[in-house]
Amino acid sequence: MQLKKMVVALAATALLVPVAACSSSTPKDGGDQPTLHVALPTHAWTNAIKESIPEFEKVSGIKVDLTTFGEDQLSDQYNVKLNTKSKDFDVMMFRPPQDGKLFVQNEWLAPIDDYLKQADAAYKWDDFLPATRDSVTVDGSIYGAPLITEQEVLYYNKKLLASAGVNVPTTMDELEAAAAKLTDKGKGQYGFLSRGQLSASVTQFSSFLYSFGGDFDNGKKATLNTPEAKKAYEFYGRMLNQYAPTGTTEMNWIQAMPIFAQGKVAFYTDVSSLSPNLDDPATSTVVDDWGVAPFPAGPAGSHPYNISAWALGINAFSEHKDLAWKFMEWATGQDMSLKLQQKGQSLARASLYASAEGTKGFRDDMIAAIKSSTAAGVAVGHDRPLVIKVSEAREIIGKPIVTGIDGGDVAAAIEEAQTLYQKFLDSETKA
Amino acid sequence: MTPPKPVAQTASALSDFANKHRKYVLAGPATFFITCMLIIPLGFTVYLSMTGASGSVSRNADFLGLANYAEILFGNDRFWPAVWRTVVFTSVVLTVEMLAGLGIALLLWRTFRGDSILRVIILLPLVATPVAVGMMWMLIFHPTIGAANEILSWFSVSAQGWLSDPRQALPTLMFIDIWQWTPMVTLILLAGLRSISDEPLEAASVDGANSFQRLIHVILPTLAPTLVTALLLRAIDALKTFDIIYATKGKGGGSYHEAETLNILAYSYSFDYQYYGKASAVLVLFLIIILTICCVLIIMRKKQRV
Amino acid sequence: MSSKRIAYPIFRAVMLTVVVITLVVPFLWMVLSSFKSNLAITDPKQLFSFNPTLTNYETVFGVADFLPFMINSLVIGAASTVVSLIIGVPASWVMARYQMTKSSTGVLVARIIPTVSLLIPWYYIFAQTGLAGTYTSLILAHMFVSLPLIVWIMLGFFEQLPIDLEESGQVDGLTPIGAFWRITLRLSTPGLATAGILSFIFSWNNFMFALILSSAQTRTLPIALYNFISYASIDWGGLMAASVTITLPVCVFALIFQRYVVAGLTAGSMKG
Repeated sequence: MQLKKMVVALAATALLVPVAACSSSTPKDGGDQPTLHVALPTHAWTNAIKESIPEFEKVSGIKVDLTTFGEDQLSDQYNVKLNTKSKDFDVMMFRPPQDGKLFVQNEWLAPIDDYLKQADAAYKWDDFLPATRDSVTVDGSIYGAPLITEQEVLYYNKKLLASAGVNVPTTMDELEAAAAKLTDKGKGQYGFLSRGQLSASVTQFSSFLYSFGGDFDNGKKATLNTPEAKKAYEFYGRMLNQYAPTGTTEMNWIQAMPIFAQGKVAFYTDVSSLSPNLDDPATSTVVDDWGVAPFPAGPAGSHPYNISAWALGINAFSEHKDLAWKFMEWATGQDMSLKLQQKGQSLARASLYASAEGTKGFRDDMIAAIKSSTAAGVAVGHDRPLVIKVSEAREIIGKPIVTGIDGGDVAAAIEEAQTLYQKFLDSETKA
Repeated sequence: MTPPKPVAQTASALSDFANKHRKYVLAGPATFFITCMLIIPLGFTVYLSMTGASGSVSRNADFLGLANYAEILFGNDRFWPAVWRTVVFTSVVLTVEMLAGLGIALLLWRTFRGDSILRVIILLPLVATPVAVGMMWMLIFHPTIGAANEILSWFSVSAQGWLSDPRQALPTLMFIDIWQWTPMVTLILLAGLRSISDEPLEAASVDGANSFQRLIHVILPTLAPTLVTALLLRAIDALKTFDIIYATKGKGGGSYHEAETLNILAYSYSFDYQYYGKASAVLVLFLIIILTICCVLIIMRKKQRV
Repeated sequence: MSSKRIAYPIFRAVMLTVVVITLVVPFLWMVLSSFKSNLAITDPKQLFSFNPTLTNYETVFGVADFLPFMINSLVIGAASTVVSLIIGVPASWVMARYQMTKSSTGVLVARIIPTVSLLIPWYYIFAQTGLAGTYTSLILAHMFVSLPLIVWIMLGFFEQLPIDLEESGQVDGLTPIGAFWRITLRLSTPGLATAGILSFIFSWNNFMFALILSSAQTRTLPIALYNFISYASIDWGGLMAASVTITLPVCVFALIFQRYVVAGLTAGSMKG
């Protein structure tokens, strides 16, 4: 009897709640205050801009609705929703190197060339770092405003280096010698660490590849088996095989960074944007001990990538493209960029790195590293192949890396990857 | 016969109709709903599987006939390993879960003080949200900060890679699945055990059978239909395991695709590679495999009952 | 004989202790970690001795704002369960009474199919009908799981229910549907509770549908969990606190309705 009453009560509330909820779930578009839907990843930039949104709403009269997703979940969202020409979001944060070509080919992104022409003079499109402007340009049209820039840098542990009397290496040879000297596996101390996971490793490997004088392809032909590329593959695999903790083949930064942050690793190569984690006493024991240096030089010099990891774009199916642009113009404009940069973001505007104000939140060695790697003729504008189906290409290219880390036959793996990658490139140009 | 009560006499034409066609009126909405949500999407998937749809489904795609199937069955280096992993995962997990489940059910069979608390505890892994469970195990099995390695170090065992070691990832995932679903098998078998009458057991005891002999000759044969049902229910879910693999290994299932089962492969092909044609073909083949296995088990179950 | 009588309880106690430890310790670990700072989590030396903190829970309900997601999970779970009961229970009754094996098999196929294959078509249909991202679309998607579950459980329940009472009701002048409504359903409260509770739990735990079909306003708890893994850092403490927040209600719920949950999970196994 008791239970029956409860079931009835439960049923009644269950029936009523959705009725109330449904009526409120219809988007409150129209009226005098339009709503702009913005899709963002969970990212420090997202958190930083959130606080300023009310300001924008007040000035523009546009109501902004932010949706945040984990990085992978966000890309799942785009895949499903844009496939069905969804208007669920107007502004979308995307990853130019990963998604750019695919989204443009699928006609998911609206070009913003016309908006840029009409933009306020203060917006200064030319202020964005050249490599980042390239990364949002596909076939001569611009599809987004670059947000976050990333360069690969060399993190090191000052304490470990000092204890062994090792200087900060500037070349690959010095790096290997120092890593060898600092590796003491019995003590749980390792000389070197970088990403080794099949797909994730490719971006961090790219700077090694360029510095050894190689690249993934020349636009049409795969170049994974050139002597330069071979040397890079062998070097990267050997470093992780001999001087790194076990299990690197499954490491993305999520797994790798904490090991460096726990002071167990002397050298760690990864993106500059991870550094706030090292400064956070809640996750890091090396807050006072970590240093950062420009990417070491290989036989061809030091050529780290410098990319626009994230950019804002406009959904091609959006019905509020003009409002979307207004938001983008505000969010990536001079003023807001300075404000966000001061909150610790490394943004894509060149002027920020030239002014004392823009670099206020940065450590000196980080500024030096960023400046030297964004200099003309040094940085490479891509950290993964410039193709449409990036995920698939990365898994092909990553294979010899993983083989090298596990001490397998790298030469054979390279030849296999070369063949597969050529086949892949052919199928892309055909399509 | 007593005369009909007035309540029933007021039956309108509508209720007459409803009663006359009650099969269709009552089962209609449910069947209609399932048909719409199942048949139409399934048809679409079958259609996609015969096209070269990639990138975006709304772009025009070539009709390829059975080419995707041919490619997957004979020219793809990820399909068969994924089938193999799915089969290995499912069979190992089912074997351990059935054995452990039976063992625990036997321990709980005869009531004792405190057994109700045990039956409550056993429910916890079953009802816990799989994604949260995945996160929990990801922390426990973390190679550098996880508790599992810390505990091993007490016994001077060196740190293991667990989920991050290509050779250990699938076994670790099996462990998680076993941890989560053995209780379900236990509960089902316990219900089965409790419905066995005492007479044949007592008769066997009188004949001098020991506990083990009673288990083999009396308990297991009686329990057989329940065992097959438990097997069927678990097989359906184990074959389709998604949440914990997605949560711990992501799309693609690791550097060597070492945790990539068919469901994960289909997901990566759709949402990572955007090969909708190929992904759909994988899904159709996957569905055929599942249906075959289920049919075999259902037939077994029917035979057990006769 | 007497030594054996003592030996078995000891053996049983030892084995069951092992089982309980295996089942419970991971949960305890999750709870423990949710009260640790991230530094304490990453430091194996602070396995048990650490300064407990509530920061993680403050994050869950503050910055991450879990309350709306909780309400979403509740609304979607309750609504999909109730609607599924309304259309599923009568259906399973006629299926049980008239041995409609074809229809019941059809409904059960829904339980077997890999749902990945349905996501894109579903989203397409929902987008075309303007339902994408609404509660309605999520409720419909979750019903795809609850309805077969409810039919499966109730089918077994109705088959076990003696048919005599219904027949005598019909003799008394009730129509077949009337007999179902006035007699069978009243006797089915335990079955209904079982089906409803289990269907709610399954909906609460569902990850894949909401991953693809929800919008910012309708997102459910399992998806919100991923807010703690961001592009450049992972907040283990927050993640564990969030995991506890998601798991605790459903565990408590299951413990209160333990009898029905067990009945539901074991439904169908006793048939025939």
